[in-house]
Amino acid sequence: MNDRQSPSELPWRNGSEPFVRIVDVSRNFGPVVAVNNVSLDIYKGELFCLLGSSGCGKTTLLRMLAGLETVSSGRIEIDGQDMAGISPWDRPTNIMFQSYALFPHMNVERNIAYGLYRDGVPRSEVTDRVADMIKLVQLSGMERRKPDQLSGGQRQRVALARSLIKRPKLLLLDEPLAALDKKLREETQFELVNIQEKLGVTFVVVTHDQEEAMTLATRIGVMRNGVIEQVAEPREIYEYPLNRFVADFIGSVNMFEGVVAETDPDRTLIRCEDADMTINVSHGVSCSPNQRLWFALRPEKPEISRQRPDGVENVVEGVVEEIAYRGNLSIFRVRLKTGKQIDLTRTNQERSAEEPITWDDNVFVSWDAASGVVLTS
Amino acid sequence: MKRSPFLWIMALVGFVFLYAPILSLVVYSFNESRLVTVWSGFSTKWYGELLRDPQILGAAWISLKVAVASATISLVLGTMASLVLVRYGRFRFRELFSGMTTAPLVMPDVITGISLLLLFVTMESLFGWPAGRGLLTIIIAHTTFCMAYVAVVVETRLINVDRSVEEAAADLGARPLRIFFDVTLPSIAPALVSGWLLAFTLSLDDLVIASFVAGPGSTTLPMLIFSKVRLGVSPDVNALATILIALVAIGIAISAFVMTRTGRSPEADT
Repeated sequence: MNDRQSPSELPWRNGSEPFVRIVDVSRNFGPVVAVNNVSLDIYKGELFCLLGSSGCGKTTLLRMLAGLETVSSGRIEIDGQDMAGISPWDRPTNIMFQSYALFPHMNVERNIAYGLYRDGVPRSEVTDRVADMIKLVQLSGMERRKPDQLSGGQRQRVALARSLIKRPKLLLLDEPLAALDKKLREETQFELVNIQEKLGVTFVVVTHDQEEAMTLATRIGVMRNGVIEQVAEPREIYEYPLNRFVADFIGSVNMFEGVVAETDPDRTLIRCEDADMTINVSHGVSCSPNQRLWFALRPEKPEISRQRPDGVENVVEGVVEEIAYRGNLSIFRVRLKTGKQIDLTRTNQERSAEEPITWDDNVFVSWDAASGVVLTS
Repeated sequence: MKRSPFLWIMALVGFVFLYAPILSLVVYSFNESRLVTVWSGFSTKWYGELLRDPQILGAAWISLKVAVASATISLVLGTMASLVLVRYGRFRFRELFSGMTTAPLVMPDVITGISLLLLFVTMESLFGWPAGRGLLTIIIAHTTFCMAYVAVVVETRLINVDRSVEEAAADLGARPLRIFFDVTLPSIAPALVSGWLLAFTLSLDDLVIASFVAGPGSTTLPMLIFSKVRLGVSPDVNALATILIALVAIGIAISAFVMTRTGRSPEADT
């Protein structure tokens, strides 16, 4: 999505005023620290994803934005206004719950209209706005149904409509697509992005699904143990992870452990014992001599061939141990002489190759110096 | 799978043991004879007799008033107690409070009756209220033990109410009182209905506690029946008891029906 705007227009790059400001926020439940000193800026019109495994504090952070959880220490500002002491019913936010939390005794129409009636919006206006919203989320004909007469996807859309109807400045979504099956989830992802662009609302989405985060987000915040490990655009998170956790959490990765042999601003050599090779990387690292480093290589980056390739900085020899055919791509697992495994993927562009690489073939895995990233932690 | 005949026999024996006495009472209430144990033909004359007896009608009216009043008051108090137990989170002495709320369930009626009588007498001599024993004291006494039943029934339901639904209402602009009436109350309504009916029937058939705290002119139906039986069982008591059984059975059936029907629907397919 961020490809559509030129980089200088992106608000987190040009020093715009953030829309949501989370400053040193912590939340303890007794001795358990769910959110630990998190600071985060979110900009207007963003679709920000908080990504992490369960129990990492992402939902707690979201609930603090909605006012459903109190802040132990720190400060939350939305649109320049300090949220301390402001109850959920007075906040300019709406939340969509993971369980959808529809009112079971009200039909679709009344569920969606509930927030407007609480605000004292006149009846005729409510009717119009609810009708528009029902059209937007494609629930026409379902107005009189109760939640237990709807499918999972329909409930999800009622919940979305109900949280959008008040035109909140900030919409919070807790695992919005988790309860849907894969096909429906993919469709809804794009629908969600369309609605977000149409209405211009700022979204904060909590998810544990990294693919979902990559598809939806303008930026992703990866959380672990109550701490945000990295905040960046999807591409940057994938290609330039800050540490081993982020590299491993987003997508799959081959990790090489080694000791720095040589480094200058545009070149680093890492002596890697477990692959018995010296890895050549085309960027510098700030580190002390002989420091332990990790080299992360995404599986789609290296080449695989039967002959030793020329002119490539990094080449290592191994045996094909496993091939998994996935239709659109194949995954090769190559075992090196040292016993280390490297996974790599090939897209299956041709329907049948002439002499495909197969099990037990002796192969060379190679990648150029710009393919991977060096991590210090 | 074929069930063993042994189970059928055991079930039959159990039901006979439970319901044969009640059945014989119902049958004999249609007996024509003045002698309770001698069958001389079908008749509904004792039911007619019953309706012409001002003493019985008066007692029935008192019982009804007591049952409605104490069921209603205990519904309010019991619901409040269960809200505290389920929603207040953890607080000091929570376990103690929980135990004390439900203690009247297992307290022998005689002890409840005596202690309440002592309390009423002491209170009257200290601040002149409640003046004498009568309708009011019976209502208070019945409320104390009915409340415990209501609290247990409502608590069970309240635990299963999805908190996020209430949070959704708060998020959409509803204040706490509004949330309670818009979301919480509809969710626990079935439990409120069955709690009220349970309290109503418990109050209706209480004899022991009422005997302790009743005064002159406030004889409840069970008290009247009991005193009549002491002078020898008369056939109109059979008729009266049959009506009571019917009332209680209907109350329990309705509450069971409401509980199972609404308890199932919202969670059915999730």
